[in-house]
Amino acid sequence: METKTAAGRVLLDCRGISKSYTGPQVLDEVDFSVDRGEIHALVGENGAGKSTLIKIVTGVTDRDSGELEFDGTAIPRSHSKKAAQELGIAVIYQELSLIPGMTVAQNIYLTKEPRFRALRLIDLRRMNDDAQALIDRYGFPLKAADLIDRLSIAQRQTVEILKALSDRASLMIMDEPTSSLTSAEATRLFDIIRKLKAEGISVLYISHRMEEVFDLSDRVTVLRDGRKVATLEKVKIDPAEIIRLMIGRDLGESDRGRRMTRKAGEVVLDVRSLSSPGLFRDISFELHRGEILGFGGLVGSGRTELVRAIYGIDAYDSGSIRYLGKDYRPSVRASIAGGIGFVPEERRLQGILAPISVTRNIGVANLDVLTKAGMVSGRRELQFARRGIALMNVKPDLPDMPVGSLSGGNQQKVVLGKWLIRDLRLLIIDEPTVGIDIGAKEEIYAHIEHLAAQGVAVILVSSDLPELTRLADRIIVLRKGRIVKEFDEGVVSEEDVLLASSGIVEGARR
Amino acid sequence: MSLAALRRLILIGLMLAIGAALATAHHVFLTMGNLMTILQQGSLTGILAIGFTLVMITAGIDMSIGAVVAVTSMVAVNFLSYTKIPVLLFLPLSLFVGVVVGSLNGFFITRFKLPEFIVTLAMRGILSGLALMIAVRDSTGFIQNVYIQDPTYLWFGGQAGPVYIVTIAFLVLAFFTQLFLKRTRAGTNIYATGANPAAARLSGINTTRTIVGVYIFSGVCASLAAVFISSQMMTAMPDLGIGTEMDVIAAVVIGGTPFTGGVGDVWGTVIGAVFLALLKNGITVLGISPWIQPIVVGGIIVLTVIADVWYKGLAEAAAARGARRARDAAADGAAA
Repeated sequence: METKTAAGRVLLDCRGISKSYTGPQVLDEVDFSVDRGEIHALVGENGAGKSTLIKIVTGVTDRDSGELEFDGTAIPRSHSKKAAQELGIAVIYQELSLIPGMTVAQNIYLTKEPRFRALRLIDLRRMNDDAQALIDRYGFPLKAADLIDRLSIAQRQTVEILKALSDRASLMIMDEPTSSLTSAEATRLFDIIRKLKAEGISVLYISHRMEEVFDLSDRVTVLRDGRKVATLEKVKIDPAEIIRLMIGRDLGESDRGRRMTRKAGEVVLDVRSLSSPGLFRDISFELHRGEILGFGGLVGSGRTELVRAIYGIDAYDSGSIRYLGKDYRPSVRASIAGGIGFVPEERRLQGILAPISVTRNIGVANLDVLTKAGMVSGRRELQFARRGIALMNVKPDLPDMPVGSLSGGNQQKVVLGKWLIRDLRLLIIDEPTVGIDIGAKEEIYAHIEHLAAQGVAVILVSSDLPELTRLADRIIVLRKGRIVKEFDEGVVSEEDVLLASSGIVEGARR
Repeated sequence: MSLAALRRLILIGLMLAIGAALATAHHVFLTMGNLMTILQQGSLTGILAIGFTLVMITAGIDMSIGAVVAVTSMVAVNFLSYTKIPVLLFLPLSLFVGVVVGSLNGFFITRFKLPEFIVTLAMRGILSGLALMIAVRDSTGFIQNVYIQDPTYLWFGGQAGPVYIVTIAFLVLAFFTQLFLKRTRAGTNIYATGANPAAARLSGINTTRTIVGVYIFSGVCASLAAVFISSQMMTAMPDLGIGTEMDVIAAVVIGGTPFTGGVGDVWGTVIGAVFLALLKNGITVLGISPWIQPIVVGGIIVLTVIADVWYKGLAEAAAARGARRARDAAADGAAA
């Protein structure tokens, strides 16, 4: 078996890789390989196991079982990031791993600077010359002496690639490399990737953007729920086929998507031609009482920015909003006072007050009700907290516990609970179930549905397609800041939403 | 028992033990006069530390408080001796020095998003220069200390029975500040801002106003301390209070308010301030070189922080175990 990989064309060979963190299987017996000089795309929905697989290959996480071989060398179950790097596996990050105050050359040669023999001082001139030679060999528009701070994100990415090249990496892993690039920059990146391929370097490419995957890849591997579904050769790559494999239900079953309905009745929110330069453009929609309006689209399509503007966190440039029949200039305070709740994405960064008790976390959104003459009633605050805890079934049900010590699902229940004990007319939720276990997910869905049944209007932003199609009465799909599709009648499947998000609106459909 | 309560119990126990040791070591220690002096010293640091605690809860730091003490005392003493306006009118004006400095600190921190440490350190430099500039000088240019003669002003440095006025003021201030922190909306805003400013803003909290507010409060506390210190010394000097930041930080950290923000309270700081005063008094009573005091204070800050980090590690491990148990129990429940 060793001879097969050592001399053969397979560079990375994974056999039967399994992994579970706590509870469900994240990777289940995955077989997967990357050839030398191949561009191999790895696709799958959120939570399909792509990141975990990458983490195992790069030595960030240990696998539970399975064999891993790179360039003919067996990799032990627990290997370090450094070991992976020395073998020739490199990950291209967007900007995090570069040091801003240093030059391009310093970053490329960080920890492996060329040095004089005497005194071991760093040979700055040689370092710059080497770096410039490397840059010129690939024809990048960079200077070795440029400071990282002055570079665009795309340029930083090329520095990352140079750094990997100087490490003699034979496999470069790129995770959503185009997510913050302009289309011209992305095209340039693809040229670089093809150049790498011509040099015999393999690229493992992870992306949600189907058109890139089809353009670039020699092969595509589809993961779903921790299992490998298929690896397709270039000739057989068909967008619709891949999307169906990703979503993973048979055609008959995938048609079983939810029937969209346009609710009549009182208009709670009426948004007209809302625009904010560079973020979203000309967004118009109506939201009715008791309606759950889903926003689909790729990460970075402008959904989060749109709902933040509606809630009053960020300003918008033009357009108008009417809320409950009146003109509305959003501000966070006015939104809270007017019965709008907001559950932000990134729970840890924006949702919770981690070191503070559950009681205060719930109290903080209800201070208007809890305060009399500037004084907060501790007794009433605790009552509110107990109501929130009971309503959301927060475990453990200890009001004094710092929210940061709860599990992710329970943290999110607290964030949601602080709004649900209020008299809401509109609830905005952004990616409500990221990183949450299935049990808590179901509970949160039940609360959202119950809320809508009581007449509260809900805006749901989600990249989790089953979540979106299950909960939403209507789905609006954003792409590059614009509405590209509105599903308001008939049956909508996850496939339809994904096709619209990827910009393949009808073309690929049979 | 809550973590904060446990910490206080340990500190009080330590204080009793140290006190008992000092009492057997030297007969002066346990006299009423000495005990009241400890409280007086603790109160002076403590008034500064109360303001500092609020700043630390917002995850900030105020390095300017010592210099605020210097400038306020110079303003209070010098202006008083020249203008002869009544003290009871003049004191609020002195406290206004703290308001101005705190507003400036808060303004630069929030408006230009500057690091708190840099802004307040620069302010410290500016104010200590100002204190020298407004000093009264004789014909040869030497600074002349003005002595306070006004009996109302001197009252602040005096005693009511055995207890110093400053101790009473300190405890009253502590009581109301604690009430403010725990029971008012503004107090809640301070905790939320320190714990997670992004989340606080999403809950409708004006974090800018909150931050400016705590720096103003810290400035006012420093100005108030300046009144007591200058009154006790019957004069003011341009370097009065400069360097006290060290003791103040020690008191707050011992009291259990961490640098990370979102956590802490005033009673902890009160105990921290008295604890520190007791240690320093012990060093004096035992006749050990006073130069050892700053070494002890520095050492205590490091030891306390090490203990806190160590404890936090333990607590997090325990919480993770608890969460795992809860999940397993839930899974078992679902299976059954």
